[in-house]
Parts: sequence; C-alpha cells; structure tokens
Amino acid sequence: MQYLLLIYSDENLSDPATLQEVTAAHMRLGAELQEAGAMVGGNRLRKSDSATTVRNVGGAQSLHDGPYAETREQLGGYYLVEAPDLDAAIAWAKKIPGGPNYAVEVRPIWPIG
Amino acid sequence: MDAERILGACVRDAGDRIRAALAIRFRDFDLAEEAFAFACLRAVETWSRNGPPRDPAAWLYAVGRRRAFDLGRRAKVRGAAVLEPPDPAPDPESLLIAAFEPIPDERLRLIFVCCHPALAPEARIALTLRTLCGLSIERLARVWLTSETAMLQRITRAKRKIRDARIRFEIPEPGAWGERLEAVLATLEIAYAQAYEDAAGACDAADLAHETLRLSGLLAALLPKEPEVLGLATLIRLAESRRPARLDPSGAMIPLSEQDVRLWDPELINEAAQLLQRAAQEGRSGPYQLMAAIHATHAARRETGVTAWRCVVTLYDFLLVARPSPLTEVNRAVALAEVMGVDAGLDALRAADRIQPLCDWLPYQAARASLCARAGRSAEAALALRAALALGPAPAERRFLARRLEELSA
Repeated sequence: MQYLLLIYSDENLSDPATLQEVTAAHMRLGAELQEAGAMVGGNRLRKSDSATTVRNVGGAQSLHDGPYAETREQLGGYYLVEAPDLDAAIAWAKKIPGGPNYAVEVRPIWPIG
Repeated sequence: MDAERILGACVRDAGDRIRAALAIRFRDFDLAEEAFAFACLRAVETWSRNGPPRDPAAWLYAVGRRRAFDLGRRAKVRGAAVLEPPDPAPDPESLLIAAFEPIPDERLRLIFVCCHPALAPEARIALTLRTLCGLSIERLARVWLTSETAMLQRITRAKRKIRDARIRFEIPEPGAWGERLEAVLATLEIAYAQAYEDAAGACDAADLAHETLRLSGLLAALLPKEPEVLGLATLIRLAESRRPARLDPSGAMIPLSEQDVRLWDPELINEAAQLLQRAAQEGRSGPYQLMAAIHATHAARRETGVTAWRCVVTLYDFLLVARPSPLTEVNRAVALAEVMGVDAGLDALRAADRIQPLCDWLPYQAARASLCARAGRSAEAALALRAALALGPAPAERRFLARRLEELSA
C-alpha cells in the first residue's frame, strides 16, 4: 500500500534559523525513510503564486493564475509529469479526466540543491 | 545636435524593439531593463561628447547587450544565474562592429510571454505595457488607480511566475496557439477598454490609448494572416477615431449617435477599413471582426449621413452567438430600438436582465434611461439615471448623465 503525505505549511516562513532547522529535519526524515525502504518519492513545491489552475466546468476549460482555493472539492489524486515548459504541463493537465466540475492545479517542482 | 533629443527619438522609434531583443536574448526582464537604462544613460554622455553614432538604435542595443553580459557575469560569479560566456572586453572598435549587427525583432515572442494565459489578466497588461512600451510603474499605477507598491508587486510576481513555472520565451506551439493568441488579444482589449472608459481621457488614459493602438498595429504587422488580430486592430482604430468627438465644451460625454462626424479622424478610419478588408479575405470570422464591423457600420455615417441600424442589429445577433455577454445584449437592445421602436428595445433590455441581473451595472442603467426617456416614461428614466449616477461613472459620463437628469426634471 502506498500513501501520499501532504504537507501544508506557511510558505512565507522566512526566518533563516527555522528554515535551516526544517530543511535539516527533512533530510533526516528522508534518510530514515530510505533506510526503512519506505521512500517512494517526495518533492518540494514552488510557492503557490507560481501555480496555474485549469478549471473544468461542464466540459469547458479555463486557466487561472494561482492555486486551487475552493473548498467544495477535495484532493483526489495526482500525476507527477516531466514537461519542458508550462504550456506542455498545462496540456497534460487538460487531459486529466474528472466529473462535470473539477480543477487541476499545476505547480512546479522546486528541485532541492 | 542634441544628444537627448536624438535619444528620445530613437527610444520612441526603436525602444520597444531593443527592449524586446534584450529581454528575449537574456531571458530576464530585470536584467534587460537595467541594461537598457544603462545604455540610455551612457548614450547621453557619449553622444554629447563625440556626436551621435550613425545608427543610434544599434548603438543602444550593442551597449545594452554588453551591459547585460557584464551584469549576468557578475550574477554568475555570485552563483545566482547561468548565462552565455560574455563578449570580449569592450573596446571602441568592437562597439563599432557590433553596431552593424541588426537588432533581432523579438517583440512577438515577448508579447506572447507577457500575455501568457497562466498570468492573471491585470498582470499581463501591466507586464506588457512595462516591458514592451516602457511605461513607468508610476504611470501604470495611476491608470489602474492603485498604489505604486501594489503595481510593482503585480509586475514582480508575474516575472517570478514566468521564471519559476517556466513559461517559455518562444512562440507557442500550434496546439496551444489558439488559447495563447486569445490571451494576447484579450490583454490588449482590456487595456484599451481602460483607456477608452473616460472620454475626458486625461493624459495617462490618452497615453495608454496611444500605446494600445500602437501595440495592436504592431501585432497586426507581425501576424498579418490572423484575421482576429486584424479585427482587434480595426476595432481599436475605429473607437479611437471618435476620440475628438466624444466631449462637448463643458467636458460632458457626447453619445455616439449625437457626435459630430466631421470630428472623427479620417486617417484612422481609413487605416481601419483596410485592416478589416484584409481580415475578411482570410475567410475566418470571429468576435473581434464582428465588433470591428459594428464600429465600421457606425463609422460609415461619416460618409452616408445615416446609420444602418438593421445591419448593426444583425451583427450583434452574430456576436451574441460568437461571444455572449451582457454588454452585447445591452448594445443590441439599443440598436433594436432604432429598427423596431423603443418598446422592442426596452423588451430586449428586460430579457437581458432576466438572463443575468444587470440593475447594478452602469451600461444597463444608462441604456434604460435613454430608451425610457425616448418612450416618454420620464419617471422611470429619472430612476435609471439616478441608479447610473450611483454606480460611479467616469467624470465625462457623469456630467452627461447629470445633465440628462436635469433636462428630465425641467
């Protein structure tokens, strides 16, 4: 069984000491997961203001600048894709199926290091 | 020769091209902006000492490019950016040689980057006017009635998103072309609407109108086979051709049907007619061409003395299918009143209000006031005028509405 662990945090956290501490703790956790054979993957995400949301309303698609912020729908899954640029990532996001109304947030991965 | 005057002319004629070439070459808006500013500063010093170069634009580009390399190299030393290797050390000779390198025309690529649909419309407009036209933050803030800090943030955020989300500095792929082009057209349309709203058009609005006119013309020149691009360029030219006729001596707005057609700008109307004809030759209609055709039908009054209202209504019918909107409903109702009578117009307005409640919307109340007054329903007209005045019209329209209200009570 695989589980997705989602991290919600204050993305504007800027105190360098805290940041350093959190980063170090992530490194330790990563090592621990590796060692336990439990690590499948994980990524840091860029800030939510770099997000683009593809909204699907009754078959019509539209782009919105920013993260998905409604509360009615709940996170239901994810794809991690390799794409050369935002247009290519959006093209994939538009192919993701769903019910009559749903949204897909496209958020760049922020490579560590 | 006055170096500053020559620089001013050069920036006016070639500034957008140089800025775009620098931004695309270095894939960095801030670096390009800083390098361009440096080149302008250096130009004033050098040109007043040694006289202007043979090709001032190429000179600015060469100096800007070198400056961008240097700045990039410094950033690279700090470990912040990766750039191509810098040019060899600057000496007068290499500058002279560089001066003959043509400035690549990257404006279209830059327009597509700045108007990417993943950026919020207000961010697109600000970024486009800032990077392509060089409009200052201060001026943009004034036009959009926001603080300079907020405007700066809007632009900074957009630049960061372009970088972080990797919006590519390329002309979009065929698969994404439609949506990307639509975003460009919508950006220019909203920018022009902002400039058009106030008929009194204080200098900032007039400037914005001028820049949008220029950008739409540039886009039409760069994409001569895109009929909707030509349609938008037509539309903006025809709307702008009426600017001299939109105000009476007291500063009140004059509605289209009451304008003195002799004040309309024949040159812009002519230019527009040619653009619209070229668009029609492509044989692919669309909302911008339809809106342009409606404006063109009004413009024809300058020659014929009458407005072909039946034609206007038909065009609005098509536009309602191509791009339904409350504004189209309201405008169609007003045109319908000319063809079928005021009652038919009022019925159409009521129908539009049923689709989507419009009573808190200025164009709806203004149209209702006008039709009610013509139908002799003074009390209802006065009510609509008061509602319209309460919805914060621009100064020239407020004067116009207030006067109508006075006339009704007289």
